[in-house]
Amino acid sequence: MEANGEPAVVELRIPCKPEYVGVARLALLGVASRMRFSYDQVEDVRLAVGEACTTSVEWATKNRRDDSEITVRSSITDDKLTVDIIDDAGEREESPGEQNKESDPQNLGALLITLLVDEVTVTPRNGGTHVKMVKYAGQ
Amino acid sequence: MNFKIDTYNMDSGVPVITLDGEVDVYTAPQLKQQMVSLLESGTTHMVIDLTNVEYFDSTALGVLIGGLKRIRERDGNLSLICPSPRIRRVFEITGLDKIFDIYDNAEEARSGIAALR
Repeated sequence: MEANGEPAVVELRIPCKPEYVGVARLALLGVASRMRFSYDQVEDVRLAVGEACTTSVEWATKNRRDDSEITVRSSITDDKLTVDIIDDAGEREESPGEQNKESDPQNLGALLITLLVDEVTVTPRNGGTHVKMVKYAGQ
Repeated sequence: MNFKIDTYNMDSGVPVITLDGEVDVYTAPQLKQQMVSLLESGTTHMVIDLTNVEYFDSTALGVLIGGLKRIRERDGNLSLICPSPRIRRVFEITGLDKIFDIYDNAEEARSGIAALR
């Protein structure tokens, strides 16, 4: 962990498939455990990253892109953890009638991410999506 | 992946699905399948025991909500056993602790269901 300046970076690439989401969670558990996070905050990070990867996997399945990959990049400084989750799972376009279903896990997943981390942005990119989340340590 | 699913019946005949390990996008379909097969057999009350669950995500929550909707359509109920604060927290932050009956152990669930029936 760097005291100041450039963050330390841990990058992981996983297949965009359900059975690999647990691998990303495990990696983030290791990363977050090294930081000044409480037990609950480490769990928050693990759950938020799991939800973001799950959403990527669900879109990959819908868009028939499950041969693609997810990149999970953690940037670590003394006071914050930034996690970039970048997929090539295709565009996230809901078909009419599929939106806002209460029990839709993707809505629940998005809600959980918002509640668990301090900042989250979701940006479409060429052929996929970039989710950036930030969690501040020592808060 | 560390996951196990089993089903047994309480003395009252109410089925209990016990889960062990991580319930997520990979393993939640097994929970769904088990719940659907109980619903198809005519079950009106069901308990899901999360005592040994180590991780529970939105996919798993979605499966429980879907099951609860179907079982309430036939005037039944789906109860949870969830003593772990870590897992209970997922229900609390999403507000779902208010729509599920959540018990600390099998004994409490048994009494709670007996009072409902």
